[in-house]
Amino acid sequence: MSNLVQSAKGALLLGAIVALIAVAATLFAEPFYQRIVFIFMVNLIAVIGLQVFMGNAGITNYGHIAFMGIAAYTVAILVTPIAIKKTALANAPFGLAGMEFGIWTSVAIALLVTVVIAFLVGSMLVRQTGTPASIATLALLVIVHVVIMNWVDLTRGPRAIYGVPVKATLGWAAFCAIAAIFVARLFRDSRWGLQLRAASENIAAASAMGVRIKRLRLAAWVLSAALLGVAGVLFSLFVGTISPRSFYFDLTFLTLAMLVVGGVYSVSGAVIGSVVMTVGFEITRYLENGPSLAGIKLPEMFGLTGVFLGVTIVLCMILRPHGLVGGDEIDEIWRRRSQDRAAGGDVS
Amino acid sequence: MSDYILQQAFNALSVGGEYALLALGLAIVFSVMNLVNFAHGDMITVGGYAMFLLLMFGVRDPLLVLPFGVLMTVAAALLLERIAFKPVRNASPTTGMLTAFGASIVIQNIALIFGGSRPKAVPTADWIASSISLGSVQIPIVQVLETGVTIAAIIGLVALLRYTTVGLAMRAAAKDVPTVRLMGIKADRVILTAFAISGFLAGLAGIFILARRGAVDPFMGFAPVLKAFVAAVLGGFGSLPGAVVGGFALGIAEVTLQVVLPQEIAGFRDAIVFFLIGVVLVFRPQGILGERPDFGEKS
Repeated sequence: MSNLVQSAKGALLLGAIVALIAVAATLFAEPFYQRIVFIFMVNLIAVIGLQVFMGNAGITNYGHIAFMGIAAYTVAILVTPIAIKKTALANAPFGLAGMEFGIWTSVAIALLVTVVIAFLVGSMLVRQTGTPASIATLALLVIVHVVIMNWVDLTRGPRAIYGVPVKATLGWAAFCAIAAIFVARLFRDSRWGLQLRAASENIAAASAMGVRIKRLRLAAWVLSAALLGVAGVLFSLFVGTISPRSFYFDLTFLTLAMLVVGGVYSVSGAVIGSVVMTVGFEITRYLENGPSLAGIKLPEMFGLTGVFLGVTIVLCMILRPHGLVGGDEIDEIWRRRSQDRAAGGDVS
Repeated sequence: MSDYILQQAFNALSVGGEYALLALGLAIVFSVMNLVNFAHGDMITVGGYAMFLLLMFGVRDPLLVLPFGVLMTVAAALLLERIAFKPVRNASPTTGMLTAFGASIVIQNIALIFGGSRPKAVPTADWIASSISLGSVQIPIVQVLETGVTIAAIIGLVALLRYTTVGLAMRAAAKDVPTVRLMGIKADRVILTAFAISGFLAGLAGIFILARRGAVDPFMGFAPVLKAFVAAVLGGFGSLPGAVVGGFALGIAEVTLQVVLPQEIAGFRDAIVFFLIGVVLVFRPQGILGERPDFGEKS
């Protein structure tokens, strides 16, 4: 029970950071920066979702963005008004062209679809371990992308779906991000989270102790997919226009870099990595477009953001393989430090 | 009809050969140092751009350009090992995999910055693109060459592993690196040899990829290597015979689906192939030739 209180306290600390960013953006920022903060919140939820599976099951996941895409497309197809569907999705199967759902119904169905697909995929995936499992997640990303690109009647294929009602606000995004932090933190500190991490350290010892590895991995996988579904729904309902490119390698690289730089093994790592990488990414994106700095016109360098992400990942792996935060949550690190200090004081 | 089947059979063999060459390169590096080399395909990209540069400087003789491409692919492999992979040599497999992933993004985007996103034409020799007649069947030379080169490369690799000291060391390193080092063999040499071989095989595959596409672009290496990864998993990850079997199995599956699928759903081919492989792996998680994972050992 005290465990639960501790992890809620830790989540509160991280949630406060997120709330602070959201409040500051609402009060002081111009619309352009508010937009960046909103996308930051969406990415943060995605990174936390990724952490739930990667950090606990110890399997590198390249397919998380697939679930974001599934949720984003599902909600867009359901919630878009019939008038727009007549031009955009006239041939939609299952009679969807003539249907229009309310916002909450659409969100609920989108999340349900995401979770059901995640459950089916996950049941196959948890039979693999280590590298083959990682490659299977990458194959999942490709499968979902290929389906979205080719099921033209349902998704408009490579062309964008437009006219999705813009219903999401920064407040909602921040609320969902904070909720995601709590969910991820409680899962990490729960019995299941602990058992999963034990199994990723030593699979033989953990299964000898009676840990039901496959079942727990499946649970983490589905929970992770649900969080990514939330991110996808928010993205769809904020941007209003979605295309297959939004949910492919670019976003996979970005979110993976955020988590890896912050530290895979903790929710704190997910939050701090997201903040640090968003700042770095936006600066690089500014430089990429060839701005004038101190009177000097810099050349356009399309691809600079990619180099930034790649170099950051490589350097991080070489210098700090466990990320900026390391294996523990920040509140745990602080508590240990203050205990050490107290113990040191006693000795002297 | 039987002509058509024969043609498609050759097509399947050559596509399978390409995947087998790439999957072998992945498996060699993995078996020696447990590294999942996501940047494998980007070494091909480096080789492709090197050939493009040589052509720009006016060197047009395929007998110079093609070997240069292979050489630069090998150089890229060795350079990557020195810069990116050596520092994480003793880290966990996840760390190595993410390092390779990062290196792959860097190479792609450097190519994007300096070369732009549009494909650049790199013509290979004309005679590669022509066909030969076998009775009433027309077979493109590139397919004959690809199948032949794959078989030759496999034979060469088996000979190297079986009859040379460094081959023996590599086979031993796949089982137990510390003991290999205790026997007085430098780990560095074994690993560099593995990378050189993997780069050489990637270079060979790269030439055939270029002969089909006729152009280079920054992301050209990714799709074939993703297929090679899937082939390696299908065959049994880390097993060299598995890589060959998986590569050919994937090639045959792809071409069969391409022939059988109706036009409307042909675009879903890759999704269907990957899904089918997923189903195979449900029943045989260790792959066709893989060994059951020994719990607690390398995983």
